[in-house]
Amino acid sequence: MFKSLLLKGRTLCLLLCCMVSSLVVTAQTKHTGKVIGNDDKLPVVGASVRIKGTNTGTVTDVNGDFTLTLSPGNVLEVSYIGYVTQDVAIKGGEFITISLQPASSTLSEVVVTGYQTQVKKDITGAVGTVDITDAKKIPSTSSEQLLQGQVSGVTVINNGAPGAPSQVFIRGVANFGNTTPLYVIDGVQTSNMSQVNASDIESISVLKDAGAAAIYGVAGGAGVIVVTTKKGKAGKTVLSYDGYYGDQQPLSGNVWHLMTPLQQAQLSYEAHDLGEAALYDPTDQTNFGSYSLPVYGYHGANSYSTFGSSGVTSDPAITGGYFFDPTNSGNDFLVQKFNQAGTDWFHAIFKAAPEQSHTITASGGTDHSTFLYSLQYLDQQGTLIQTFEQRYQLRVNNTYSLLNNKLRFGENGYAFYRDNNGGYPGSQQQEGGSISETYRELPIIPIYDIAGNYGGGYDGPSGEPLGNANNPVAQQQRQINDRSKSWNMQGNVFAEADFLKYFTARTSFGGNSNNFYYYNTAYQPYEDYESHGNPNGFTEVSGYSFNYNWTSTLNYKENFGKHAVTAFAGYEIRQSGGRQLGVGATNFVTLDPNFLNVSATTLPSSINLSNNTYLYQPVGVESIFGRVDYAYADKYLIGATIRRDGVSVFFPGRQYGTFPSVSAGWRISQEDFMKGISWLNDLKLRGSYGETGFYANTLGTNAYNTYNYGFGSTDYGIGGGLNTVQTGYAQTGIGNPQTTWETDKVANIGIDASLFNHLDLTAEYYVKNSSNLLFPIALPSTLGGASAPNVNSGNVRNSGVDISATFHDAIGKDFKFSVTANIGAYKNDITSLTQTQYLFSGSRIGEFVEEAVGLPIGEFYGYKVKGIYQNAAQINSTPNYSGAIPGAYIYQDVNGDGKIDANDRTAIGSPSPNFTYGLNVNASYKNFDFSMVLYGSQGNKDFNYVKYWTDTYHSFPGGKDIDLLTNSAVNSNGLGAAATYINGTVTNPSATQQALQVSSTPPSTFYVEDGSFLKCRVAQIGYTFDPGLLKSLGVSKLHVYVQGTNLFTITKYSGLDPELVPSVNNQNQGGANPQQSASFGVDWGSYPANQKQYLLGVNLTF
Amino acid sequence: MKKLNFKIVALCSIAIFTAAYSCKKVLDKVPTGVLPGASLANKTGVDGLLIGAYSLLDGYYQGQPGTNYGSGISNWTYGGIGADEAYKGSTTDDQGPDLPQIEQHAGIAVTNSYTSSKWQVCYAGVARANAVIQEVPLVKDGSESAAAGTVAIAEARFLRGLYHFELAKIWLNVPYVDETVTYVAGNYNVPNPGPIWDKIEADFTFAMANLPKTQPQAGRANYYAAEAFLAKALVYDHKYSTALPLLTDCIQNGETASGAKYALEPFNNNFNASTKNGPESVFAAQMTVNDGSGGQNDDGGDVLNFPGGGTYTGCCGFYVPSYNLANAYQVDANGLPMFQIDATTGFPKYNDTMLPNDHGLAATDPFTPTNVAVDSRLDWTVGRRGIPYLDWGLCAGESWTRGDVVPYTPKKNSFYHAAQASTTDNFGTWATNQGSANNYNIIRFADVILWHAECEVQGGDLADAEKDVNMIRARAADKTGWVKTYADNSNPAGGFTNTPAANYQVGLYSGQFAANGAAYAMAAIIMERQLEFGMEGQRFFDLSRQDAATKGPLGVGYMAGVMNSYYKADNRISNPVLGKAAFTSGRDELYPIPESQIEIEGGKLVQNPKY
Repeated sequence: MFKSLLLKGRTLCLLLCCMVSSLVVTAQTKHTGKVIGNDDKLPVVGASVRIKGTNTGTVTDVNGDFTLTLSPGNVLEVSYIGYVTQDVAIKGGEFITISLQPASSTLSEVVVTGYQTQVKKDITGAVGTVDITDAKKIPSTSSEQLLQGQVSGVTVINNGAPGAPSQVFIRGVANFGNTTPLYVIDGVQTSNMSQVNASDIESISVLKDAGAAAIYGVAGGAGVIVVTTKKGKAGKTVLSYDGYYGDQQPLSGNVWHLMTPLQQAQLSYEAHDLGEAALYDPTDQTNFGSYSLPVYGYHGANSYSTFGSSGVTSDPAITGGYFFDPTNSGNDFLVQKFNQAGTDWFHAIFKAAPEQSHTITASGGTDHSTFLYSLQYLDQQGTLIQTFEQRYQLRVNNTYSLLNNKLRFGENGYAFYRDNNGGYPGSQQQEGGSISETYRELPIIPIYDIAGNYGGGYDGPSGEPLGNANNPVAQQQRQINDRSKSWNMQGNVFAEADFLKYFTARTSFGGNSNNFYYYNTAYQPYEDYESHGNPNGFTEVSGYSFNYNWTSTLNYKENFGKHAVTAFAGYEIRQSGGRQLGVGATNFVTLDPNFLNVSATTLPSSINLSNNTYLYQPVGVESIFGRVDYAYADKYLIGATIRRDGVSVFFPGRQYGTFPSVSAGWRISQEDFMKGISWLNDLKLRGSYGETGFYANTLGTNAYNTYNYGFGSTDYGIGGGLNTVQTGYAQTGIGNPQTTWETDKVANIGIDASLFNHLDLTAEYYVKNSSNLLFPIALPSTLGGASAPNVNSGNVRNSGVDISATFHDAIGKDFKFSVTANIGAYKNDITSLTQTQYLFSGSRIGEFVEEAVGLPIGEFYGYKVKGIYQNAAQINSTPNYSGAIPGAYIYQDVNGDGKIDANDRTAIGSPSPNFTYGLNVNASYKNFDFSMVLYGSQGNKDFNYVKYWTDTYHSFPGGKDIDLLTNSAVNSNGLGAAATYINGTVTNPSATQQALQVSSTPPSTFYVEDGSFLKCRVAQIGYTFDPGLLKSLGVSKLHVYVQGTNLFTITKYSGLDPELVPSVNNQNQGGANPQQSASFGVDWGSYPANQKQYLLGVNLTF
Repeated sequence: MKKLNFKIVALCSIAIFTAAYSCKKVLDKVPTGVLPGASLANKTGVDGLLIGAYSLLDGYYQGQPGTNYGSGISNWTYGGIGADEAYKGSTTDDQGPDLPQIEQHAGIAVTNSYTSSKWQVCYAGVARANAVIQEVPLVKDGSESAAAGTVAIAEARFLRGLYHFELAKIWLNVPYVDETVTYVAGNYNVPNPGPIWDKIEADFTFAMANLPKTQPQAGRANYYAAEAFLAKALVYDHKYSTALPLLTDCIQNGETASGAKYALEPFNNNFNASTKNGPESVFAAQMTVNDGSGGQNDDGGDVLNFPGGGTYTGCCGFYVPSYNLANAYQVDANGLPMFQIDATTGFPKYNDTMLPNDHGLAATDPFTPTNVAVDSRLDWTVGRRGIPYLDWGLCAGESWTRGDVVPYTPKKNSFYHAAQASTTDNFGTWATNQGSANNYNIIRFADVILWHAECEVQGGDLADAEKDVNMIRARAADKTGWVKTYADNSNPAGGFTNTPAANYQVGLYSGQFAANGAAYAMAAIIMERQLEFGMEGQRFFDLSRQDAATKGPLGVGYMAGVMNSYYKADNRISNPVLGKAAFTSGRDELYPIPESQIEIEGGKLVQNPKY
């Protein structure tokens, strides 16, 4: 496909050259020759062949051949766009084949811009391209990760969980919901590229401005990422193998900075906490200052009066009373021996884990057909035990041509089977995830009790519970039989035909079909206090979803003298839908995975269909679109696009929108007055303005009042019995027929330069105004419990600068290197909003994110800590709040009304970085190669919610930060009754954390930390064996490498990893609210994405 | 060659245009997985909407904003913990900061999430009732007679009145939302200029006029339920003389929806799922279990309110009776309550001495239950050490609690071990057997009798008031309804003896009302309600409706006096939560209106005084 377009381009160039050149031929010896590209061995059409130092020359014909009359000793200068100009000395009269080396200048890249391909020098919009060779050096189970640090203006937030997708923002966050870009993979429009085999990827380009993305209209508002996969090439069949095997290491050390049990005992005494001190020395609850650790803990139905009256000693006669009844938790009498040294819960569930990937690719073809087959096996075991991603993938890409290459058709097919378990942010980035339990479960609790069952909060000294956290080892190990499997097919079939000389018609049908099945088992958590008696359970869910788009385009391309015109028009429809069936039940006699299904429950009434069974709302989009590009003398470029889209999610009358754009470029370096500047290889100034749209986050039911019924929401036992209900109805959704799409108006100005033969530079400035943001405005309760519709309300402005530069050079013959740096900086600003929005109201400390006019999206919200009250006089003389005692935080009186209350909450930091940057270094010396990728983010803040648990004393008993002992204010009346704290004074004025006796820690700057970081994403050393040595083995290339990933992370952030994927908005609702990409920068205990990996890899080609 | 080329292009074009034409309806998508409004304009739809409106009587629903604890119908939070009868329980910070604020009244945040969810669920109930009223006129298919339509509207207006009543007793100044308020009309920012008793009374008056005396299903509202609610609204509206004849009619002629004559039944039958909808149940929120809802139709507002340890391996140790409540059951030599204020301590006399209990003792320390004389209702209301806890065994006192500041556990919402399988289910995925099928009686007949007594006092007939109070006391004095000892303490399932579990003494008044005057009579009635309805989420409202803050007859500072005396009395035992309590007169008799609603309504809604 590329080749054919390129070939046509070359033909046109030939014509052009014929017209504009005046060829002078002198009568000497006729020589013939051929020019081919060294990269693909195909003829180069239209290459300039000139006798050096003269004006004499010619251009190659459609077969790459040329004929020139030469004198011996002449030197030919052969040049062609995209290739290094080469001098060839003529010796005799032989037929000469000249093989041109591709130029590494990025300006000559062919870039896929969606419905078209363009040479980068002709592009007038903002299109970022990924150097795919660099990007692929980082082994990733989710292919969005290839983008991190590779394209300026693209922010990628990685997730450490195996197989979990990353969050991608192009030029900032533009709304309060999901700002996921549109992915176009081989023409298929979809919502992620996570599972595309990285080895199959040929190119990735990012359409950042309206000049480039407006052709995608209502789907292009968040930017577009265009991915193409490899095709076979005519010629010899090539067989290659790419593989690696490696080891991932969990973070090391006391990652949460937690105390030992002895320190915790001391803490409970210093807090004068009768309840918790009793855990440590139940014999003496009054003698503060002395403490000892209990040896055994117990809990249960039986009363062993001689055991555990103290709870701190062992009595073998009584530990024999241990009883565990898996069928009736009421009979349990559980005993555990405490871990005096403290259990390191984090490292109890994070272990070194292997990962590997093997891809075999076969490709080749003839003049009339090409093929590429690839097979991959990928297995990434997570460092969090029982998490993994396994994929078996197959790709078949074929092309065929007929009628002298005038008719072409083919397919790109991709199928995979995926088996995944756990670790998604849905279960990690919220309260109750096993990672959060590694700091919440008390260190004194052992992993296993005296009988080898799990230890936990249920068995405390004196039969008292030990906090309400869960044993994370139990949580993870119990997932051993959980699976999430999917069978996915995606790809397209296409046909295109050239006709009437200037026209090409193309039609492509592509889509994605996903079948999935997952099941999970809930074990009775007998070791936990709060859920000790919960029954076991089993849930299984299956479903399918699909989306497809069918695109037909008509292309026109013609040159008239210095005028070059290309145009195309298209028609497209997109459809999506699906359905899902899910069933859960409780009370199973056995959890044997080879037996279990929901119907095996012993309590039929526990079978529950309601939560996981639903129909997907079908969505249809219908579009017509077109683009015209005009170039004059390869100097002045202008392009315009228009697209009209109809989207079914809106009410008739509000469905259709038109999205235009214009862009222009001026290749200044082509002007005569610039020709003399030798250091300037190329310089282009370009600009664009246009509109795109966005309709995601809106349901197809949005326009309608909807009703539903449900066992738990509308049914009622009107008959008065114990277990019979009658079905009721209620309104579930309020419709708004006025709602329509979001509009993004983007202006972009950019410069592309190629300097000194070694430096390529692109810089651009943009302003993106997103208006009519789609989100639900909170309605008053007077309208009842039906959910509010999305309405158009609010504008957001993003403006910023993207810069990228590549420097490449060689020192001597053997040492070559290139350095690519890119930086993206944006400023995000909510410019209007009908109603201020607050997020995370379900947290333990209330809402702490505010979306309001004048603030960036996702701004943290709370009080500003100014210091710590030292004494009552200070409290009385400064603005204060109810409950303030010496040792409590002083908050800033933001509104100056003399008191501290909810109105003093203010903006306290943004999760958006000031800028993100990437640096790629590549070097080779003889057969050795070296590369390194650095990625950084500067100025982003993280809201460290973990500190609520570890750095406040009033939260539930659990692991606590050593800082609580060493850094907390001490109230001189801290050991007395509550009422007297107010009369105390702080005895350690240098303390930075509030006193243990303070009973709440609302959102404030206390939680907000600098989340800036610089990560060494990868460093690699490789060796390429001399092809001569391998020839006898039939091997044409063998490259081996060792690689380290995340070798270092430089950050001041105190949590596991400053790079935080979005979290679940309201954690108490158990993930009922979808994860939203704009809810980022909040740390509940995220799966760290900065774990070190060491790999050994091989690239082998036959 | 050329021809073939043309043929192929032509063929492809035809294929494309044919397919494009057949896909013409790309945008024609109907809402999927939900019902459009039009499908409800028939009898089934109206009935279903009405059931949907009833279904919020339990105070919560799946998918609601906020937690079920904050919105449950029993009002254990606002009515119980917010008053002087119960503590939050559990560990100090559990359910903080919302629930400790309600216990302390020292500054309930306008952002309190409990009050926010209660507010929202009540208005969801109002909206569902309005949906019925809107739908009935749209039924044109002949499936519902005019008479049936009127009854449906009457039930809906009954429910609308009831949900507004819930709101009014907590916040007093609340928006009244009728069926004309809709999204399309844009009139949904409804103001709250003051009390809405007149509108609530109008709804109940309409309901009473149009509801039958008996209904085919026990859970439906009938004529007498509407009459009782109308009377209750009038009592809260301090229109005692208007309420009196309605209450008299209820007492003399009232019957349940199933047709049973109103009567006082054995006390504990009101708190037992197996005997629910008895003759005392004027109107109840129906609770069901094992109905396929995963616990969403049981008494889910109270899932935290079970003992926190011990034989009863439940969870979570919330809603523990206060010392004040337990002490209140102490009686004088005549078996009468000791509500008079002790001039030296400032406490009610019952609070001068603590009812002996096991606070501070370990489970293994010896303990003998006290022989101090108490009202028999104590041991159906408060779990205390050494007394049978239903059929679970002897309550172990403090070791059954969680947080250890109090030796008492809640009891009225608990269930019999023997009936566990049929009367409980698991609330959601974690609260095992903590969803109970115990109905919550929003009005029980004892209420009607004591309101009648109150109206008689306001009307000056103290003798008749005393007669009413004695009806209640006589039931408590009936030995057959007392808690008895186990036949075998080690086998609580083995049944009970005929020996009372403690020294119960319940005496009747004999002319004290008339002799001591109206103020004494009112105090005695309020005390009787405290004992009768202890741990039923009513106490706060019984105090606030007497206070001047709600234009009640007992004047400015009445409630603050009761509450601050309680804090002082109970803080004789160190208590990290109650230790910070303080009740401000003129503010804390009402709860703060959720700030979020004030913001959303853009200024139409006004905060209650001093918040």
